[in-house]
Amino acid sequence: MTATTVTRAPAPGQGSPRGTYVAGAIGGLIIAFYVVLVLFGSQLAPFRATELAGPSLAPPGGATRLGTNLLGQDILSQLILGARASLTVALCAGAGTVVLGGIVGVVAGWFPGWCDAVLMRVTDLVLIVPKLPLLLLVGALTGGSVLGLSLVISLLFWPNAARILRSQVLSLRTRTHVRAATGFGAGTWHQLRRHILPDLTLLAIAEFIPAAGRAVGLQAGLAFLGVGDPTLPSWGAMIRDAVAFRALFITSAWKWWLAPPVIALVALIVGITLLGAAAERRLSPRLVRHAR
Amino acid sequence: MTDVLQREARAAARGHDAPPRSRVPYLRTIGLYALTLWALVTLVFFLPRFMPGDPLRALQDADSGQFIYDAQERDKIAAYYGLDKPLVSQYRSYLSDLRKGDFGWSISQNTPVATLLKKRLPWTLLLTGSALLLSSTISYFVGITAAWHRGRFADRALIVVLSATRAIPEYAMASALLITFAVTYPIFPQAGAQQAFATYGSPLDAIGDVLFHLALPLAALTVGLAANKFLIVRNTVISTLGEDYMVLARAKGLSRRLLKYRHSGRNALLPFVTALGIQAGFAVGGSLFVESIFNYPGMGTLVERAVTARDYPLLQGCFILLAVVVLIANLAVELTYAKLDPRVRRR
Repeated sequence: MTATTVTRAPAPGQGSPRGTYVAGAIGGLIIAFYVVLVLFGSQLAPFRATELAGPSLAPPGGATRLGTNLLGQDILSQLILGARASLTVALCAGAGTVVLGGIVGVVAGWFPGWCDAVLMRVTDLVLIVPKLPLLLLVGALTGGSVLGLSLVISLLFWPNAARILRSQVLSLRTRTHVRAATGFGAGTWHQLRRHILPDLTLLAIAEFIPAAGRAVGLQAGLAFLGVGDPTLPSWGAMIRDAVAFRALFITSAWKWWLAPPVIALVALIVGITLLGAAAERRLSPRLVRHAR
Repeated sequence: MTDVLQREARAAARGHDAPPRSRVPYLRTIGLYALTLWALVTLVFFLPRFMPGDPLRALQDADSGQFIYDAQERDKIAAYYGLDKPLVSQYRSYLSDLRKGDFGWSISQNTPVATLLKKRLPWTLLLTGSALLLSSTISYFVGITAAWHRGRFADRALIVVLSATRAIPEYAMASALLITFAVTYPIFPQAGAQQAFATYGSPLDAIGDVLFHLALPLAALTVGLAANKFLIVRNTVISTLGEDYMVLARAKGLSRRLLKYRHSGRNALLPFVTALGIQAGFAVGGSLFVESIFNYPGMGTLVERAVTARDYPLLQGCFILLAVVVLIANLAVELTYAKLDPRVRRR
């Protein structure tokens, strides 16, 4: 947004800091659980994702503990194996967003003048691009592999990180130790490496977590709309298959076909959000400054 | 995916990225939007052309079943589709077609894309428009009230619940609502925007039926939007409560309602409107998901069908139309913003 004002910032932290940290720990545990699923998924899953595991739409119980879908594939196995797509995109798109935003933010913050002006106009431009429609279009054209999607997500969502990191660089520039180093003749590269980047790391982590959470939601959403690698099990594709089955709500199959991937997805996103809130509270200088 | 919002609104509210205002009011803003639209339209043109392969590949490939041996015949086909012309003139005719409202021909539906878009857009506008309106109204009043009673149990509970809610993707919310209120307790219809084959006795019946079908999709879209704005309004209002002018207004003996809405509520409007602008994009994106879940006859189901059939002309048409809608909404908000804030106007 280019519209600006100088009103007082809303009071930042909500709830007690302690509550935020407890919630953050819970979020961390949820994420750790999913990481285990990704690492040991192929051992944990009783079937392969596409394997015929039982009769069509078998209710939970027996060998297929969470039931089967219309094609007789095991829901539990698909659920476990689907974690990989979500966490991969979280990691790659989260990192990509922060790295791109970091490059733009640091360059814009460190070189004021036309360089900053141009980069910030580009940032404004990317900010107002309607992101989901563009993701759909590019994803459909390029095939929507997880890494490709991560790249496109990074290319669309870096401006937030860029703005926040830029303002931090602007503030760091004026600190005495940085100015002293300039006085001693330190070059740009030395300054960035020794004085700027280390101070940006924590802020970058605080930016990484929400970016990762957003990417999880986007990847699943795109898979739900049909943009994604069809050979890769993913929760979004499971929801898509379930909703596409017209008699889903006439039978009670939604209980074991639609609900589990939705719950898995929401749990992961809420977990990341909780961790992100705690991290932002702890790491973001903006909030530390305002905290009461 | 909406946690950006609050941060954005906060950043904008603090104004640490204030772009220099030009002398001519609004011209810069309008220019930025026009530039964005041009960039997107151009991207739509060049993206498929830089992908490997081209539409006539199969006709030129001797190993393909569709191979046409006669070179003259091949040239004729290329000329028919205008694919023998240089890229620049293809681009020029693409732009002039767009200006005329010609979005090309849908491959999967065998209909002009513009016809399909025209049929679908009103439903999406109805859904997103009413979601933005409803969520704004709810979040504004509930936000001010919560700020006024900050620290009470209801306030704290709302914050915890809504902070978690706004992270939930729209399709998950829509599925949950569908399962609860259309399957387990079949109060609302499961799909569609109108009763199939219905004949209405009066226009009132028709409106009632449309609203009845709109209820669940609207709720699914509204919850997330409202949660975000609620947090923004609440926090802004709290920050105004300690201001000197509030103390003075209270000392003057102004009524509680005046204090609440005139003095502190109005100051919450600016970050609120900023959030509204950013949310226009989120609402349109979210409606794509919600429509797919409820099989609502808007752009969402059309986009989904286009993606499934890999109907690129249709997908591109949808994209351009959605982009125009979002950009217009954003622009409108920014221009309103300048009207609302005397400081922006003065500069």
